[in-house]
Amino acid sequence: MNAITAEKSVLAFIGCVTFLIVALLFLILGIMFLKGLPSLHGGFLFEESKDFGRAGGVFYQLAGTLILMAGAVLWSLPVALGSVLFQTEYLRAEKFKTFLTQLTYILNATPTILFGLVGYLFFGVYMDTGVSWVTGSLILAVMILPTLQVSIREAVETLPEKYREAGMALGLSRATQIWRIILPQSFYGLVTGVLLGLARAAGETAAIMFTATTFSGIQFPQSFSDPVPTLQTHILVLAQEAANPESIAQAWGAGLVLLGLVFLLTLAAWSFRTRLVMESEL
Amino acid sequence: MKADFRRGGAWFAEPLVWVFAGMNFIFLGCAVGLGIFLVVESVPVLRAEGLGFWSGENWWERFGALPMICGSLIVTGMAVFLVLPVALSGALFTSEFLPPSFRRRVKGIMELLAGVPGIIYGLLGVSFLTTGIKHAFNLLDGNTLFTAGVLLAIMILPMVLTLSEDALHSVPSEFREAAESLGLTKLQTALRVVLPQSLPGIVGAVLLGTGRAMGETVAVLLVVGSLDRVPGFNLFVSGQTIPSKLGREAAEALGSGLHWSALMGLGLTLFLLVAVLTFSGNLFFRRSRQ
Repeated sequence: MNAITAEKSVLAFIGCVTFLIVALLFLILGIMFLKGLPSLHGGFLFEESKDFGRAGGVFYQLAGTLILMAGAVLWSLPVALGSVLFQTEYLRAEKFKTFLTQLTYILNATPTILFGLVGYLFFGVYMDTGVSWVTGSLILAVMILPTLQVSIREAVETLPEKYREAGMALGLSRATQIWRIILPQSFYGLVTGVLLGLARAAGETAAIMFTATTFSGIQFPQSFSDPVPTLQTHILVLAQEAANPESIAQAWGAGLVLLGLVFLLTLAAWSFRTRLVMESEL
Repeated sequence: MKADFRRGGAWFAEPLVWVFAGMNFIFLGCAVGLGIFLVVESVPVLRAEGLGFWSGENWWERFGALPMICGSLIVTGMAVFLVLPVALSGALFTSEFLPPSFRRRVKGIMELLAGVPGIIYGLLGVSFLTTGIKHAFNLLDGNTLFTAGVLLAIMILPMVLTLSEDALHSVPSEFREAAESLGLTKLQTALRVVLPQSLPGIVGAVLLGTGRAMGETVAVLLVVGSLDRVPGFNLFVSGQTIPSKLGREAAEALGSGLHWSALMGLGLTLFLLVAVLTFSGNLFFRRSRQ
């Protein structure tokens, strides 16, 4: 009897802990909505920020975040796709393959601020792109490379062997197999990777805060060497003015927009991934 | 028609291999180049300071990185210490006691939670955690190493939970059936059979979470207080971690000079710490899969 009550109370305890952990997401969402919604007036997304971020909207900040995200994926996708196809379809040396996979893991775990430091030196100084949106998107491209690679590799490697065998039986060359069989069949993995990569780029602050962004005074970039304002760095600057209620209110609004953007991309990635799972079960 | 198609493929094949190889080379260059740059750029400061770079306590006159290294180790250690019991309870309950449909929902929520940007945690930390801790412990300033540790614990919780849950769940059900047929209760099975079996995977999960915590920049930067001194044994003082130091000073040191080299030296230190954690974490994962 005693042992049973002990077991039940332990179970109840870890059940409660689990419930609280799950509740954390709703707590964060709740706080963001509670604090962010009041500052989301009608034109918040379409007005420029005024008075050093204390009033107005976040139009150019949102645009800057989107520019950096899109740029990152544009640079990163061909490299990720090419390197994964090279590793899965052409490369035979097992040891080299394991080494490359390990490299992907290390790159994935590297603290993001290091991409900012080294990326600024390589792109900004040696390739002379300066503090600009080009530097920022290149740095983010390197940062999301492992995310894209892992998704694409998973899709390519879980492709049923019979598809390849059928292609070989038809006498297709390897390039035709890739173009006609592997790419179309693993397309969902590619889309999932791109969406997760976009989400990761959207949430990143450390790598771009001193390499690609500016706080105010800039609208759309007019040239390749212009910095952009972004939602992330906008929040960072406003959050440090904690004594000023107007700044903090704007920071919550921008935070809600950013969180919405990231969650939307993640959920979209899931919907593609479930389709991927269903396809492979056929 | 078919023959044409095939010849088209063969014509296409040669350049394509080189394109793919080139892309792979770019990837290799990015990863290896990152390490090489960190080493090469920190040579000047290591030449100027020698081993004193890691043991010096003074950043302004001599570039000693000890305050930042201590801060990073303390904050990360605290986050792991706080997250371990919570994440393990959650993982055990999710894997062993929740029905599959709920399990999938919990995993989904964890994945969503893991995607919340660091800057959002920073904003929440600045607004609630610092004032909360200031009042709870009756401090003059809520921006302390303790605050950063708590915030980091919350940030790495979903990752540690979901990875250790994977490890628990991948223990074959034969083990559970055998244990229960011997008369063990479900909790005894979970604690004495499943948990020891999945230990390598759990250690791997914790190590990867530790690496993540060590590299987090903006959330820590906003709540840690940014004060360069060796904190001693008091957690309730302002401090500095390696990433927060980099975030604070990179903008003013951009480009060249010994200051920049010193920051790159800090970056190299951080990179080595995280690489060791990640590498051993992955080793444990591979052992758990065998």
